[in-house]
Amino acid sequence: MNTEISMVLRRVIELGPGIREFWLEPEDGGELPAYSGGSHIVLSLPLPGGIRRNPYSLVGDPHDRRKWRIAVRRQEQSRGGSAWLHESAREGQPLKVSMPANLFPMARLARHHILIAGGIGVTPIVSHARELARLGHSFEVHYAHRAPEFGVLVDELRQLAGGDVYCYVASRNEMLDFRQLLAERPLGTHAYLCGPQGMVENFHQVARDMGWPDTHVHSERFLAPPPGEAFAVKLARSGREVAVTGDQSMLEALEAAGAEPPFLCRGGACGQCETEVIACDSAFQHNDLFLSQPERDSGRKIMPCVSRIAGGCITINL
Amino acid sequence: MSAAAPSIKSQPVYHALEWDAAGVSHLLFVAADDRPLLERLLAAPPRGDLTVLVTDAAAADHLRASGSDAHTVVEDGLARGLEALESFLRTADMGLRLYLVGCEDAIWQAAGIAARYGMSSAEIRLFQTGTKARPVFCVHCRAMTRGVRTNLADCSGCGRTLFVRDHFSRRLGAYMGFQIDAEEPGVKPPVEVAYP
Repeated sequence: MNTEISMVLRRVIELGPGIREFWLEPEDGGELPAYSGGSHIVLSLPLPGGIRRNPYSLVGDPHDRRKWRIAVRRQEQSRGGSAWLHESAREGQPLKVSMPANLFPMARLARHHILIAGGIGVTPIVSHARELARLGHSFEVHYAHRAPEFGVLVDELRQLAGGDVYCYVASRNEMLDFRQLLAERPLGTHAYLCGPQGMVENFHQVARDMGWPDTHVHSERFLAPPPGEAFAVKLARSGREVAVTGDQSMLEALEAAGAEPPFLCRGGACGQCETEVIACDSAFQHNDLFLSQPERDSGRKIMPCVSRIAGGCITINL
Repeated sequence: MSAAAPSIKSQPVYHALEWDAAGVSHLLFVAADDRPLLERLLAAPPRGDLTVLVTDAAAADHLRASGSDAHTVVEDGLARGLEALESFLRTADMGLRLYLVGCEDAIWQAAGIAARYGMSSAEIRLFQTGTKARPVFCVHCRAMTRGVRTNLADCSGCGRTLFVRDHFSRRLGAYMGFQIDAEEPGVKPPVEVAYP
């Protein structure tokens, strides 16, 4: 598993302040697999300290078999991935890229789609808009961003959705009010949001208050692995011990040591890297969105992509 | 009413009907006369708008006599009731919950209409009451035979004698029926009332 494609960074485009678009093409010039709107890929970035694998939503046309596009905002507290893409990546740079996976698919039987983007969360929204436009489905786009210059890709959205693109620019005191947005929507409407955590939580809360079932409310946010204390991982099957540094995730440390644990989103959302815990002499720091409270309480499971322990040693079934 | 365990996984199990407190408006579709159920539900109506759509004459009489102040629409028979349901859903907003009460033929036809309007199973609750008669889908000619009370039934489309299985299709809202004597023509078990 974890098949990677050899690709080349063909173009780097400045979209806005600290936001760049990257075009990736297959190294052998062949055809790429098609993907569905909302999919993401994982880039293996050759950082000086080792490979860093970061997930990015695909932006653009899911049926474009020649290139994949991503848009990346330079994170202020970058762990190195987005900083490397902004400072060191040059056109012609070879990169290993995972196959696309979709944790944010659209509901194809919906009667109407409301797409909502918060900041750089616009990326999967663009690929959804492109697919909905191609299918001729009824949809509209709501896009909240800090200031006009942060409204990247809005022209592309306007081409796809015509007049049904609404921007909410914080610097102009324009606020997106979910209560207003979700009111009096016809039965069979689905709403999708990609944005920061607070916005996602507010969206789900308002939708629930207004009687929307969870089946019609979709969101995506990826977590960057939070740093913490250094700790040790014992691999029960091989008896090996791997050291995890404070700014490294457990998954990254395992990979650096040559282990190949499964992964998909690397952001605590999908559940693919769920790992059985055999022993732990320290406190868990669960940061994922996947494990239930009883699963966390059991002390038997951890998601190594974003979760860690507060120093000490953890033994896992790997 | 406790739900009997189904003989096959696809057969629906119906739980005691309760209002869904997560909804902000509610439509109760009543296609059978189940007085205790209606009295229990209407004694404690849910938060938000409630509309009761009744297609069964006896249930409509009971509802009138009960003095419930729920907004009530009475339609003459299932066919008209389903049309009224469709026009209600056409203009309804998100936040609606749909409750379907009646025989399986009625409630699954209604559920099929709701699905066409984009409602998910999270927004619909079904409760079987009244006759156990089954809608049967012929796997040979794809015709629907409704109101089947016996283990064997003549297909309304091709006339074959169908054995009525417990296998249920939610999409079709019907049980599967297949020719009972396909391998040995004329060899058929006795006809019995299985679904009173």
